[in-house]
Amino acid sequence: MRLAGFAARVACAVSPLLPIPGVAAENAAVDLDWKTRFVGEAHSPREDSVFAAGLPLTSFGRDRARLEQEARGRVGPVSLLATGTVSGQEGARPSRKLLVNEAYIDSGSGENRISAGKKILSGDVGYGFRPIDVIQREARLQVLPPALEGVPNATLGRFSAETAYSIVIANPGHGRGSDPRDDGSLALRYYRRAGGADLHGVARFSDRFRVETGTAMSAVPHESLELHASFLVQRRGERQVPLAEPASPGDLLTPDRAVETQTLGSAKKALAGFTWTWESGWSFIGETWWDGTAPTAADWRRLASQARQRGALAGAPGVPAEAVAGSLAASTRLFQLPGLSRRAALAHLAWTDPAGGGWTAALDVLRTLEDGGYSATAAAGWEGNRWRLDAGLRRSGGSPDSAYRLLPERGLAFVGISVAF
Amino acid sequence: MFEFRRPLRRWIFFATALLLAVPARAADVKTLLKEADAFRLSGESVRVDTEVRVLKSGSLDKTRLYAVYVKPGRRSLVVFRSSSERGQKMLMLGDDFWLVVPTSQRPLRITPMQKLLGDASTGDVASLTWAEDYDGRVEGEAEIDGVPCLKLDIAGQRRGVSYPRIVLYLAKSDRRPVHAELYVASDKLAKQAAFKFGDVDGRKLVTLMVLTDHLWRERTTEVHYLSRSAKTLPDHYYNPAFLARADIENR
Repeated sequence: MRLAGFAARVACAVSPLLPIPGVAAENAAVDLDWKTRFVGEAHSPREDSVFAAGLPLTSFGRDRARLEQEARGRVGPVSLLATGTVSGQEGARPSRKLLVNEAYIDSGSGENRISAGKKILSGDVGYGFRPIDVIQREARLQVLPPALEGVPNATLGRFSAETAYSIVIANPGHGRGSDPRDDGSLALRYYRRAGGADLHGVARFSDRFRVETGTAMSAVPHESLELHASFLVQRRGERQVPLAEPASPGDLLTPDRAVETQTLGSAKKALAGFTWTWESGWSFIGETWWDGTAPTAADWRRLASQARQRGALAGAPGVPAEAVAGSLAASTRLFQLPGLSRRAALAHLAWTDPAGGGWTAALDVLRTLEDGGYSATAAAGWEGNRWRLDAGLRRSGGSPDSAYRLLPERGLAFVGISVAF
Repeated sequence: MFEFRRPLRRWIFFATALLLAVPARAADVKTLLKEADAFRLSGESVRVDTEVRVLKSGSLDKTRLYAVYVKPGRRSLVVFRSSSERGQKMLMLGDDFWLVVPTSQRPLRITPMQKLLGDASTGDVASLTWAEDYDGRVEGEAEIDGVPCLKLDIAGQRRGVSYPRIVLYLAKSDRRPVHAELYVASDKLAKQAAFKFGDVDGRKLVTLMVLTDHLWRERTTEVHYLSRSAKTLPDHYYNPAFLARADIENR
C-alpha cells in the first residue's frame, strides 16, 4: 500500500498537467497486480584473467542475489510499474532500492493521443540487437533482467487504422546525461502497415548524436517464417575505446583514462534476421548485425595488451599496487557496453512444450565475427498458474584476446523464481 | 455426327450442372457456418470476457482470463487479464499477428504458427467465427450424443487460421455447433471440441467450449464465455503501434 500511496501522489502531481475531461472519473480505482521474484546468480571468475589484480574492485566473478517486489497496474488514471528490490553481492552489504519504473497517463480523444510521465518506450524489431531503439536503449541478451526503467517523456501521437505518428520529448529539460538514454531529446516515430509488412521509422535529435535516423521492417511471408531488418545512421557517433597508444606508465595508471570516448563523424548500425517456427513447439531465430559504435577486434587486443602492461608495472619501484588495481578495474568498463563487437551473429533455438505443460527451453549462441569470441546460454523454464521458475547457464570464451575470452568471468549459473498475486 | 453430338450435349449439360452446383453447395456451407457462428458471437462488434481453465488428468492446472474485442474484418484484440500475464496483448488482423509483452512494450510480429504455442492457444480464444475463414462441403449426416447432425468438412481459406481443417458437426434442427475435430497443418487431429449452451439475454449461445487435446490426451481446456457485450472499439485501437498504450486497458 505504500506503493499505492506513492502512485496516488504521482497521479495527483501529474494529472493537473493533463486537463482531460473524464479521465479521473473513468479510472477511479486502484487495480494492481503483484509479483515477487527471487533471482540468484553464481559467477565463475576467470582465474587467468589479465585483469585479475583489479577484479576485487569490480563486481566480476561475485555471486549475487536479489529479491524484487513488483506492482503493476493502475492507480486512478496513472499506469504504474514500481519495484522494490533488496539485493546482495558476495563481499558487499545488502542494499535496498525503491524504483518507480513507470508512472504515466495515456489519454486523448479520437485519433489524437497524448502521454506524459515515465514510460517504457522500447522500439525496433530485433531480438539480439535493436538499432532504432534510440529512446529506451534497452539492454539485450541479459539473463533474468530486472524490469526496465521508463524514460520521462511527453508524447503527442496520431493513430489511424494503418499508420501512427508520434512526437516524443524525452527527458525534458535535460541536456547531455551520463548515459545516452538520459539525454534530453526530441524524436519523431512513424509506423505504417504496408500490405503484410510493418514499416517503422525514427528520427531523433539530441546534443550527443545530433540527428539519428533509422528505419525497420518486419514481415511474415509464410505461416512459419518472419523476416526483419533494421538500419540506423547517426550524424555523430560515439564509441568507447581503450587508452590511445602510445601510452606512458602514468597514462596507464590513470583510471579515468583507461577507457576513453571517441567521437565519430558518423556511425551506422544494421540488423537482419528471421524467425522460423515449427508446429512441434520449436522456433529458431537467426540474426546478424553490424554496430559501428562497438569496439573492434583491435580495441580488445589493445585493452588486453594494456592490461598486461599494467600488470607488469605491479611491483615496480614507486608504483602502488592500488594504482595498478584501480586502473585495471577501470579498464573493465569496456565490458559493460551493450555490444562488444562490431559484427556479430546470433542463433536462438527455443522450445515451448506443445502439450501445454508450461515448460520452455532455449539455447542462445552469440558469436562475435571479428574476433572469434562466443557467449552461449542454455536456459529452461516452467510456468504454472502463478509460479514461474527459470534456470540456466552461460559460458563465454573464444579466441585469445577476443572480447568474450577476455571477459573476467568464464560464465554463470542463474535461477529465478517468481510468484504472481 | 449425330452420335458425336449427343455425348457432347450430355457433357455440356453435366459440366454446366456441376458449375452451377459447386457455388450453390459452397454458398450452403457458408450459410450453415454463419448460422453456427450466431451461437458463438452475439453481434458483429463485441467484447467477450473469457476464462480459460486448463485441466490435466481432470484436475485444474491453470486459469487464465482474457478480454477479447472482436470487430468485422477478421480483427481481434486479446487483452490478457490474469495477474501472471498482465500487460500482454495480442492483435489479430486477418492473417497478421502481433504480441506485446509487458517487459518490452513494443509490438512484436509473430507467425501464425507462434500464436498456437503456449498454454491455452490464444488462437482458440480469439477466433470466434468460422464463416469468414472457412469453406468446404457437407459430407453427410451423423448422430453425436444422440443429436442428429450435419457433418461438414471445412478448410481454412487463409493461412492465418489456427486449424487449417475442421470437421464440424452442426445440429440439423437449429445449426448449433455440437462437435468439432480440429486439425493442424500436418493434418494431424489436434483437438476435439464440444459445446455447451446457455440462455444469454434470451438467446441460446455457447457458454462453454471444451477442447480435448488429441495429441496430449491428459489435457483438457475449458473456454468459458463469461460475458458478451456490444463494444465497438475505434479502428485505431487495432493498429499495432497503439498496443503499447494503456488506453486499451481502460476500456
